[in-house]
Amino acid sequence: MSLLTLENVGKSYGRLEAVSGLEFSVDKGTVHSLIGPNGAGKTTVFNLITGTIRASCGRIVFDGEDITRLEPHKIAQRGIARSFQQTFLFMDYSVLDNVLTGFHMRDRAGVIREFLHTRAAREADERAREQALEIVDFMGLSEQKDELAGNLPHGHQRALGVSIALACDPTLLLMDEPVTGMNPTESNEMVERIRRIRDRGVTVLLVEHSMRVVMDISDMITVISYGKKIAQGLPDEIKHDPQVIEAYIGEDTDAA
Amino acid sequence: MKTGTDITKKLVFAVAVAVVLALPWMTGPYTTQLFILTMTYGMLGLSFAFTIRVGLPRFDSAAWWGVGAYTTAILMTKADMSFWLTLPIAGIVSMAVGFLIYRIAIPRGMMVFLMFGMVIALAIQQLFGSVEFFGGWGGTEVIEAPAIGGLVFDGKRELYYLGLGFLGFNLICYYALMRSRIGRSWNAIGQSVKLASSVGINVVRYRMANVLISNFFLALTGSFYMAFSLVAVPATFGLDKSLNVIMYVIIGGIAYSLLGPLVGALILAFVPEYMRVAAEYESIITAVVIILVVIFLPEGVLGWVSGRARPWLLRRRPWVRSVGSKNKEPESG
Ligand SMILES: Nc1ncnc2c1ncn2[C@@H]1O[C@H](COP(=O)(O)OP(=O)(O)O)[C@@H](O)[C@H]1O
Ligand SMILES: [Mg+2]
Repeated sequence: MSLLTLENVGKSYGRLEAVSGLEFSVDKGTVHSLIGPNGAGKTTVFNLITGTIRASCGRIVFDGEDITRLEPHKIAQRGIARSFQQTFLFMDYSVLDNVLTGFHMRDRAGVIREFLHTRAAREADERAREQALEIVDFMGLSEQKDELAGNLPHGHQRALGVSIALACDPTLLLMDEPVTGMNPTESNEMVERIRRIRDRGVTVLLVEHSMRVVMDISDMITVISYGKKIAQGLPDEIKHDPQVIEAYIGEDTDAA
Repeated sequence: MKTGTDITKKLVFAVAVAVVLALPWMTGPYTTQLFILTMTYGMLGLSFAFTIRVGLPRFDSAAWWGVGAYTTAILMTKADMSFWLTLPIAGIVSMAVGFLIYRIAIPRGMMVFLMFGMVIALAIQQLFGSVEFFGGWGGTEVIEAPAIGGLVFDGKRELYYLGLGFLGFNLICYYALMRSRIGRSWNAIGQSVKLASSVGINVVRYRMANVLISNFFLALTGSFYMAFSLVAVPATFGLDKSLNVIMYVIIGGIAYSLLGPLVGALILAFVPEYMRVAAEYESIITAVVIILVVIFLPEGVLGWVSGRARPWLLRRRPWVRSVGSKNKEPESG
């Protein structure tokens, strides 16, 4: 069962076709990786799916609904959350407040009740806090929960970015290079977490540069180069695909 | 269990409240008038600081202040309405007109909002001056001071307490809004528009609500202004006044969204008086002061004090760090 389908999706910047004629489907309950050399258009695909930029052509269907022209917050409300390649966080909020902000769509007591701080609003706040603590705990940030996001070391900031996305309670989670800049221990922990996220029923679309990570956790891999799909298959097939190997010549050793 | 700190804090708070309540009995009418102005400017600052939470600096606060003042003046003189009844109407007029303008500006992002603000500030001022109905550049007067039963707000002391009432209402509402989950989402928008919309926050709608609430309170402050000045002159509500409002907030400390504007307004209301500087140098002095503050007190006076005072005395709001915080990403949409 496919959860997300891209049909002939394209995006051009002037004469540069960042993405063109892209077609692929992400099956429910899988970890699907999108890989390709630097500048291949992976982040652009994420921006297209989440509505941050508008597709020049094609259709994006999520859960049976055309989401191609929806605004970002509407797409988030449909159940797609993302973590960004650059570290976007609410830098002046504590870790816990960052995650609580991700609860924006969940369990609201209503504007008036929240303004008046009624019992219903306080109880909803308390429930949100507990759930946020669970997420913080799951992502290994319990000790840092009261630190300002801006003061965290890089690895923890990456983990916090994923925590915020998880707080949205997504059906589909897009992760753009989640282990970049992490040390090997942190990276292994992240891989383990991605697996557990999938096991909880969340579908994951992953962009990752580290082939070790991609080959380790992907159920399916789509390879793009210069904005076009050049291969798709299981990790073992992709590993030995001559076109893929060619596309990666000149890339760093980790990727080859 | 109460700690010593708790008790000291309560004591400090109680003394502060007592001093504020007793002020008009400890000073003369002229100083009381300055305090009334301080409260007025402080309320304008509160409304400016409020839209800063969603990353929208407004250059039109004085214009909406004027809309409130003129609505009250015109309803009182032309429709013979009571002062109190004009209050909600002033607020609603300011919100309604604001909505028509901002539904164009807000979806187009911060830069357009900022430009619209400046243009609107000038246009509204001209509207008051050049359209006959509003009484021309000489202004429009009301004769009647507000009253409840036998209590007439015509003396400085009475007006001071009326001002405290308005200020208290502002503070309570703004505090409740910022503490709620809506407040959290507003602050999130101010920190990163991109991330905020990725967690499902409708940035345009949240910004609109925020700005319109600010419009409402700006207009209320305008109505209060009419109660003590009894005359509305277009020159009062110009762009220069809006710039002053920004000064109050920056000088007080932009991270302190409630106390900051009040401290800034207090300083800018009193310091020029005591320096006895001629009015013709006011803009130069303000410029120098603001440059010095940005260089030496980037977190404002309160930021500077809280670095020295006991930490419990002043809890800084963490989410807007200083003028020109280096942590913030540029706005994208
Ligand atoms: N806003 C933009 N304007 C012009 N070109 C862009 C823009 N965003 C991305 N590109 C170009 O699109 C291509 C794909 O970029 P990107 O999606 O970031 O690649 P990847 O994430 O795979 O490294 C690159 O050549 C990049 O320079
Ligand atoms: Mg990228």
